[in-house]
Amino acid sequence: MHIRPILSAMRRNKVGAFLIALQMALTLAILCNSLFIIEQRLTLMARASGVDEDNVFVLTNQWVGTPDDLNARIATDLAGIRSLPGVVDAYPSNSYPLRGGGWSDGVMLADHQVHPNTHTTLYFADEHALNTLGVKLLAGRNFSPDEIGSRAENSLGHPPVVIVTKALADKMFPDGSALGKTIYVEDGPTTITGIVEKLQTPWVSNSFGEKFPENSMLEPYHYMVSGYHYVVRAQPGQLDAVMKQVQKKLLEINRARVMVKVMTYAEVRAEAYRNYRGLAIILGVVCTSLLAVTAFGIVGLTSFWVTQRRRQIGVRRALGATRRAILFYFQTENVIIAAAGAAVGVALAVGLNLWMVTSFEMLRIGPAYVLVGAVAVMLLGQLAVLWPALRAASIPPALATRAA
Amino acid sequence: MFRYYVWLALRSLRRNPVLTALMIAAIGLGIGASMTMLTLFRAMSGDPIPQKSSQLFVPQIDNWGPDFREKSNEPPQPMLSYTDVEALMRAHAAPRQAAMYATGFVITPSDPQQQPFQAEARATYSDFFEMFEVPFKYGSPWGAQGDESHSDVVVIGKQLNDKLFGGASSIGKTVNLNNHDYRIVGVLDDWSPHPRTYDVIDDSFGDAEQVFVPLTVAIDRHMDIWGNNNCSAAYEPGWEGHLHSECVWLQFWAELPDAAQVQRYRSMLDSYASEQQHNGRFHWAPLTRLSSAREWMVLQHVVPDESRILLMVSFSFLFVCLVNAVGLMLAKFMGRSAETGVRRALGANRRAVFMQCMVETGVIGLAGGLLGLALTGLGLIGVRAVLAKDMSSLTHLDLVDVVLAVLLAVVAAVLAGIYPTWRATQVQPAWQLKAN
Amino acid sequence: MLKMSHLAKVYRTEVVETYALRDLSLNVREGEFVAVTGPSGSGKTTFLNVTGLLETPSSGQYLLDGEDVSQLGDDARSRIRNEKIGFIFQAFNLIPDLNVFDNIDVPLRYRRMAGSERKKRIGEALERVGLSARARHYPAELSGGQQQRVAIARALAGSPRLLLADEPTGNLDTQMARGVMELLEGIHRDGATIVMVTHDPELAVRAQRNVHIIDGQVVDLSEEPRFHGVHPAHAQTAA
Repeated sequence: MHIRPILSAMRRNKVGAFLIALQMALTLAILCNSLFIIEQRLTLMARASGVDEDNVFVLTNQWVGTPDDLNARIATDLAGIRSLPGVVDAYPSNSYPLRGGGWSDGVMLADHQVHPNTHTTLYFADEHALNTLGVKLLAGRNFSPDEIGSRAENSLGHPPVVIVTKALADKMFPDGSALGKTIYVEDGPTTITGIVEKLQTPWVSNSFGEKFPENSMLEPYHYMVSGYHYVVRAQPGQLDAVMKQVQKKLLEINRARVMVKVMTYAEVRAEAYRNYRGLAIILGVVCTSLLAVTAFGIVGLTSFWVTQRRRQIGVRRALGATRRAILFYFQTENVIIAAAGAAVGVALAVGLNLWMVTSFEMLRIGPAYVLVGAVAVMLLGQLAVLWPALRAASIPPALATRAA
Repeated sequence: MFRYYVWLALRSLRRNPVLTALMIAAIGLGIGASMTMLTLFRAMSGDPIPQKSSQLFVPQIDNWGPDFREKSNEPPQPMLSYTDVEALMRAHAAPRQAAMYATGFVITPSDPQQQPFQAEARATYSDFFEMFEVPFKYGSPWGAQGDESHSDVVVIGKQLNDKLFGGASSIGKTVNLNNHDYRIVGVLDDWSPHPRTYDVIDDSFGDAEQVFVPLTVAIDRHMDIWGNNNCSAAYEPGWEGHLHSECVWLQFWAELPDAAQVQRYRSMLDSYASEQQHNGRFHWAPLTRLSSAREWMVLQHVVPDESRILLMVSFSFLFVCLVNAVGLMLAKFMGRSAETGVRRALGANRRAVFMQCMVETGVIGLAGGLLGLALTGLGLIGVRAVLAKDMSSLTHLDLVDVVLAVLLAVVAAVLAGIYPTWRATQVQPAWQLKAN
Repeated sequence: MLKMSHLAKVYRTEVVETYALRDLSLNVREGEFVAVTGPSGSGKTTFLNVTGLLETPSSGQYLLDGEDVSQLGDDARSRIRNEKIGFIFQAFNLIPDLNVFDNIDVPLRYRRMAGSERKKRIGEALERVGLSARARHYPAELSGGQQQRVAIARALAGSPRLLLADEPTGNLDTQMARGVMELLEGIHRDGATIVMVTHDPELAVRAQRNVHIIDGQVVDLSEEPRFHGVHPAHAQTAA
């Protein structure tokens, strides 16, 4: 295939070629970055929370008024829930992974340090928490029942012992010696008595939580406020039934309460990542439209060029050009334009990404991404040009002799 | 003549249905995507009280000191401690001011048939209602008197009034909040500002609360803090200890009608902070801020990144669609250059050719705009389906959006048509309709 | 009516200057029917372009209807083309998307004529060429001769001072050509001024006067039209 005649034909149609190249360059830049964002969000969404999500649900309980016998009420509720058939375990807490709201504090190695070493979320828990959540204890021990304290509202905690996630333990003690060590949290020192494999914070999908997604700490407290959450784990396959029974049971125990929210963990997760998922879906739709617009644009313009050059193509055919040669002509033309577009597009894609890195919280795009994008856009061009090129190839040589 | 051009445009568009459909689809898709995101973005960055917001200001006082600052010249916290709020309320340096915090209750309806339910509430001062132009259906705010006398009064929202009293005036009746009876003095009309200007820290895009109680009463009754509450240091346990700690959990708004008052308020803030330094509470030079409502929205990053990314991507998409349309129009106009040559020979001047092409692009733009409008409607339904309620509850098309969409489409099409049109006007008058 | 003196048209490219017309002088009186002949490459096309105000001459003077049009701007030339000149093309140049009525309407539209006036003129022009019944037909539905009649109607509808025809029968068979020629003669008898470019000697002889262009210059052969009509080859050698 001779490139020169193609180039000289393009030179006579500079603007048309330029417009296709520009369109492909922009498509590449937008596509790469959108796919990159989609992929990032999907990766974040795929992270495990550490909770046995298939079998756990949460119930937000709000007592009417401000009862002064909260400790007893909580104990009665828990005994009631745990006695139900199909319930594995349950505990009350101020928050839970993926909830979106909760407590956080700085963690320090020394008392009265000005800047904390890292941050963590604080989950109030009792000795049933690990079993309820289904998290794996890697080292140390669980809380014992006598360690569980009653924590008053508007007070700082002084937990004697805490259980931390491996992520938090490693952050504080990179050499792996966290177990049994003293750390400073809230208002004073405490001892790490257990390390669990994984437990995410409540803030998995906002900028606040991105800095410490797995820094969680369990404090041995029941919190004495009128509104809190029960976390309940059911036997496999019995979640729906157990959810109904627990609500019924709680109303039997005491009607002076509002069960504000009862959610399976699947619902908690969907709620937590709704905007991530939404962003990914919307970007996906825009990308699909983008590809369609670009592809049909190429089809439209190339078809037009074919129509314009019908006679010229007829003459070429009469002079001995094969169908394949005509097909090749248009395909090669598109490859040249697309390659130019892709070259510019790669630069644009990287530029756009750099700008987004400075404007939003975003990572640098990998070169592989851009290259794959470039190849994809060139393939799209080839696909789009195929139909008009085939039409051109089917122009009969007899056209050359027909009067104009 | 204009009608002739429109007539010609319609014929020309009918002549090449595939090319026409491609152009209209490209513009329609571009407009649909960008208008959907623009509607979302406009709603999020909107100002529900534009006539008032320039007079509303948020003060910040750094009561934590330089150790907690991320930027050396920015107060670290958007909220205030109770100590500072009390001082600001006492100073009464603005014609109107209101401190506030988010709380909530279990409401026990007097009708025993109705289940108790939970309601979010706002503890604030009476000035709040006038400052944020809250519409009343029945009654009125509780007034300064209510604030000062710590009265057990309440203003409820329309929805709650419908639920409890069937929509009738409930003024003078009581509502049971956390086992206490409060006398209803006002019932709001429909009111749900987006974004929720008065509190963009706890929930920028949530619905307005249905219960409003005097903050003075809320403090007396130790009403739970449902919003953010950040503490820098240890404090005495219990409500009183927390109240007098340096924990920040209250928001404060001042209404300052003119620049002179703004200036005075700034100096008041500074002298207050200096005084706190003097009496030993602050161990650092005073650092205060006074931000207008608009500045505050930006400072608090009300519009999330998602919305910005989508806006940017969708407008880039629109740009690609326009480049696409430029190519197709160029093909179209150049494709009939022979006809243009004959028209020129028959006496059409350049302006006539220009007008003919421009009207044609305008018609394409109009059709693209209408398609885009339909797609925007669909897009908003889609957005509502996939985004969280707080982001999507505000996505509805208003007249401004409709006009904007069609206008944007026509302007975009005409912009895209400029180069092809210019090329068409350069066609020389000719003797020959060249075949093929 | 038409007075050209010492017209020249030079085409400049980067490398060469080509004289398409050199020192061309020609007068056409009101009501005359002039045939312009010449071998290909002689400058006939350029002559047509300049006469029809599609191009401006590089030098010399061109008076049309007493007005100097040699160096008018684009807009003014458009206006004169529209109002004073009727074009009849070899390839008819009807706009395929428009029906007969709308094709004839094109120059009238650019004259911003009122609707009723346009309608009247189109009707008259169609009647003149005998195609009143075909007003709603599209060019593709007409024979070549009919298409050329429509083109003539389009040229006539604006009541031009000058009809400019470029090989008006070039794309037609003999039968149709004769019909078109008779139509042109009829129009001439009604008082129109016609300048017709052709290489067909049989057509040329039917004009009142023959003008021959060679190498961009006019050889006026009005004295012996019949001779050239019969023996064009001789005429060329004689010139």
